[in-house]
Amino acid sequence: MKKRGISIRYKILLLLTSLPLITLSVYLVLALRIFEDDKIAYVFDSSSNMSGTMAAQIKTQLNSVLGTTKPIFQDYLTQQKFTSISDSIFLNEYNLEAVVVFTPGQAGSYQQTALLEKVPGQTVGVLGGLQSQMATYFTEVEATRRMVKVPFSDDRVFIFEKVSDETKTRNTIFLVIARMSEAAEMFRTALSQKMYLISQDGTVLFGPDGSPGRKLQETVAPAFLKNISSQVAQGAETTKASNGTELLVSFSRAGFGDLTVVTTVEKEKALGAVQILIRKSLIFFGILIAATVILSLFASSGITQALTQLFSATQKVAEGDFNIRVDVKSNDEVGSLADNFNIMAAEVSRLLEQTAEKARMESELQTAKTVQETLFPETRAKIGPLAIAGYYEPASECGGDWWHYCQIGNKIFLWIGDATGHGAPAALITSAAKSASTIIERLNISPAKALELLNRSIYDVSKGRIMMTFFLASFDLETGELVYCNASHEAPFLIKKGEGPLKKKDLIPLNEVNNPRLGQARDSVYEQTSIQVEEGDSVFFYTDGIPDIQNPGKEAWGEREFLKALIAANKDYPGVNDSVDRFVVTFQGHRQGAPLVDDVTFFVVKHEGLQ
Amino acid sequence: MGKLDVKMNKAADKLTIQMAGTIDEDVDFSQFNLAGNQAIEVELSGLKSINSCGIREWIKWMGTAGGASVSFSHCPKVIVDQINMVDGFLPATGKVTSFYVPYYNDDSGSEKNVLFRYGTEFQEGSVTPPSSVKDEEGNEMEMDVIESKYFKFIKK
Repeated sequence: MKKRGISIRYKILLLLTSLPLITLSVYLVLALRIFEDDKIAYVFDSSSNMSGTMAAQIKTQLNSVLGTTKPIFQDYLTQQKFTSISDSIFLNEYNLEAVVVFTPGQAGSYQQTALLEKVPGQTVGVLGGLQSQMATYFTEVEATRRMVKVPFSDDRVFIFEKVSDETKTRNTIFLVIARMSEAAEMFRTALSQKMYLISQDGTVLFGPDGSPGRKLQETVAPAFLKNISSQVAQGAETTKASNGTELLVSFSRAGFGDLTVVTTVEKEKALGAVQILIRKSLIFFGILIAATVILSLFASSGITQALTQLFSATQKVAEGDFNIRVDVKSNDEVGSLADNFNIMAAEVSRLLEQTAEKARMESELQTAKTVQETLFPETRAKIGPLAIAGYYEPASECGGDWWHYCQIGNKIFLWIGDATGHGAPAALITSAAKSASTIIERLNISPAKALELLNRSIYDVSKGRIMMTFFLASFDLETGELVYCNASHEAPFLIKKGEGPLKKKDLIPLNEVNNPRLGQARDSVYEQTSIQVEEGDSVFFYTDGIPDIQNPGKEAWGEREFLKALIAANKDYPGVNDSVDRFVVTFQGHRQGAPLVDDVTFFVVKHEGLQ
Repeated sequence: MGKLDVKMNKAADKLTIQMAGTIDEDVDFSQFNLAGNQAIEVELSGLKSINSCGIREWIKWMGTAGGASVSFSHCPKVIVDQINMVDGFLPATGKVTSFYVPYYNDDSGSEKNVLFRYGTEFQEGSVTPPSSVKDEEGNEMEMDVIESKYFKFIKK
């Protein structure tokens, strides 16, 4: 038997669990990707909003400072000094710390020419700290007209503003020192995302603690910083920080000097919701798969239980037990399969019994055939002047034909009969006929009386269901008289010896008397008659199976060919052996081995004289 | 359709039956009631064969006709053979009104069934065969039976 592989139960289980698992996994991957993209877009949008808002606020504040100081600048440029108007304006602006005026000197370099300050002497210190960069700052502001610097140590801003006269030949640079505490605080305390105010070269002016004064590129190098000349006012991108962390970066140019507000947020933190979604989805998956497994177990056990029963049953059948039955109550295909299996097993069981019964019957038929063969006499005999030769071949194991001869006193009784149909039932009747004839032979009675007795015997045995045609003749060994009685049997032919070859007209049917078949009615009376058989004469007795002999093409031999063969076999009035042999050769030539449709029986008797 | 085709036509005082096919052990004559008729005409030209079991059923069936006079017409050879051989095949009130006699020519192999009619080719106790029977090519044909056997039922 083939080795058993994975159980169907596990296959069904695997199928039912893997299908939702794969489907949900694909769904999760796709959903997460969409969700992640959407989340990133949202983060970009919100951080861009934040950076844009912050940039606008910076611009507003710085413009506000400049707007406040514009009258001061104008006052100075008109009077070449700060008047009381400038003092008044300056003092009323609490976030202004100082306004310093630089004008070109004799050598062309800028020299401090005026100063407004809230705390006297404080500005000197500040300018001292900037002394080393002042030349660079003046060059820059010459080029850019406006510039913003910070000291990196506090929340002040230094706004450099270049103002030219009407001829643009004389420039005055105003340095406004103002405090932007609120803005600086916002850059420092941004929580979910970091926010930077940077200059064009990436220097952080305001930002989280530790970042002011350093280059933003040290932490992260977004693409927009690499293209200084780009005029893009706002944007967002994903980039990697120097420590490898993925960052979502958005920027907005303040529109004041070279200031840009940059916000960064770690992608991992931004997509924290995705991680939560994954965790929750996995928990949901786990629950779903567990439920699927439980349901699959219930579903598959129903199927596999029935299949297991069928499997066990087929094993029993393989071992030869066909009485096994499967008890499956489902109405589905498996139930139908079980029903069909039960029907098949029952049918096989029935066929086996039938085969055994058939074998037994064949054995019994073979025995019956052997027994029936004992009912027939020697096929060749010579009793006094009478030579006898016969032939018998049943159409199946047992036949319904019977022939016989016996001597009673100085008479030879010649018997031939044919029971209705052929096979075992007919054979049983011939057996009864033989038994009865054995007794009748001892009575030394005429053929007619003998058939009357035989008729009663057949009738009592078959109750009219099976009948028998019969022809009985007695040949007197001394006189040559043949007394015969016919019970609806084929009339034998008397073959009278003539001078020339036998002709059709020389065949004399012995049909002068006829009587009912044996077994037709219990009290039938039979008549007989007699003819004289001369020396050299023969009589051909036969049953109706001879004209019915068929060839392989199912063509019957027919009466004409039968008579031709009979005439040919006896044309020179041969001995009985030759006559029979010739006749057999002829009909076998037609038959060509085809099965018989009826039993074939015939015999020839010849009066050969007393010598 | 079975092996035997029987058509029955009941007139006022006569039952006409047409039979064709084979009569064997499978035939069921009980469905064809013959009782209650004064005269029955049986036309048998279509009958092909009859075996020993069929003969038994036939005789039982004919017995149900009671005292009705039964005439058989167009009897083929298979029926004539049984009439001659089987005592009782023709019921006591039965009469053959016509039957076929096979003729043949051994040289050409031609065959022909010639209808012998009561009053023309035969009557009680005697047969008057046609003086000459020829095939389509004009060859003389001879009777394909042993006359003493085949016409036995007429000469009884």
